[in-house]
Amino acid sequence: MEKEQQKRAIEALLFLSEEPVKTDKVAAALSTTSGEAEKMIEELQEELSAQGRGLQIFEAAGGYQMGTRPDLSSFLEKAFSEEVSSNLSTAALEVLAIVAYKQPVTRIEIESIRGVRSQHVLDNLLKRKLIKISGRKEGPGRPLLYVTTADFLKYFGLKDLGELPELEVENEGAE
Amino acid sequence: MVEQAEYKIKLPTFEGPFDLLFHLIKKAEVDIWQVSIADITEQYLAYLQSMKELNLEIASEFLVMAATLLRLKSKLLLPRSPKFQEQDEEEELFEINTAEELFQRLEEYRAFKKAALHLRQKEEEQKKVFLRSTGGQKIMVFTQQESVYTIWEGAHHLSEIMQRFAKIAAQREYVPAFSAVEDFVIARKADYIYAVLRQKRRSVPMKDFVIESSLWEVIITFIALLEMSRQRKVNLLQDRPFEPILVSLIEKQPELFQPEEGESGERTAKESY
Repeated sequence: MEKEQQKRAIEALLFLSEEPVKTDKVAAALSTTSGEAEKMIEELQEELSAQGRGLQIFEAAGGYQMGTRPDLSSFLEKAFSEEVSSNLSTAALEVLAIVAYKQPVTRIEIESIRGVRSQHVLDNLLKRKLIKISGRKEGPGRPLLYVTTADFLKYFGLKDLGELPELEVENEGAE
Repeated sequence: MVEQAEYKIKLPTFEGPFDLLFHLIKKAEVDIWQVSIADITEQYLAYLQSMKELNLEIASEFLVMAATLLRLKSKLLLPRSPKFQEQDEEEELFEINTAEELFQRLEEYRAFKKAALHLRQKEEEQKKVFLRSTGGQKIMVFTQQESVYTIWEGAHHLSEIMQRFAKIAAQREYVPAFSAVEDFVIARKADYIYAVLRQKRRSVPMKDFVIESSLWEVIITFIALLEMSRQRKVNLLQDRPFEPILVSLIEKQPELFQPEEGESGERTAKESY
């Protein structure tokens, strides 16, 4: 009974939160352990999916978040059409991919991989808060270093950077 | 070997020279490491040529790559002289001196392109999931690529303006009490402005209407002018921020000052009237 109450509380908490919620935050709110909280979240996750509900719980940016089921998107787009933002450009995705895998990385390093000047794309990604400046690289010119943000993980629905597939580089001709 | 005609019909756009090279290699259905520099150079130049014929702007990166390819090709043809070391610092984007280096770079680019494709898939998947969000990315307004503003930025600017205003007010050791700004004071100021303008029959800088030059009076004058402008009694003109605001009277010519909503392009010829 007590546990059921806690699970209902977690459901309400995830429903209200606009950001992914970390398990220790859930645990603190319910005065229970992180392990217990995680177990209950997973149970809720399964219940929602088993009952075929319109909402789902998924992992994003190191926490849990409640969102709608992907198959309902066409209905929801009709209702919220004005609020849907545009997709990222191919250039933006290329730069993001390079930053994600090579971070912290400088602009020159990114440009050398792409073979194209990329300052403009970087500026836009900074504005969108998908990347941020983490500091400066020691060395000549002390160039800025770029890293991805929590918003990056959220935007692509990633739990953490480890969820990205391995970069497939064949080094046949290298040595 | 090169089918030039094919490029002429439809030119896909590429993210850069590596993107184009990568496309050419894929088209030739060979492995990156098995590419013939001579072939790829020929195809690359053919593509640039067709871009030129279509009067498309060719980004400098593409031309630098063309030069790099030609240099690689000539190196393969010419006998090697170990003493000859090329000195070129023209472009740091392409420090490519051997075919192997080029393949290495292409291979690296290919890997990241694939990673970018994966991100695109994740983006598509995630786009279908709606979150309970008021402060997140969904309120962002994307008009053009370079201008991304959020409502929060707007709010930030507003609070900055208010802070500046408070600072100025504090400096003058006088915080205007808005309850004192009563309607009749504004109306009286408006009457005064109106009288001055009618007498002078030309545009007058806003500061000329301020007699006591107190902060309070500046505010009254400004509010009065805004109200008069709203009622289409005066025109307010300012060349650029912080320049003097010029006030001029709007003569009673209703034909000229009636904006017809939704028909801005249409002009009725009533000059003869």
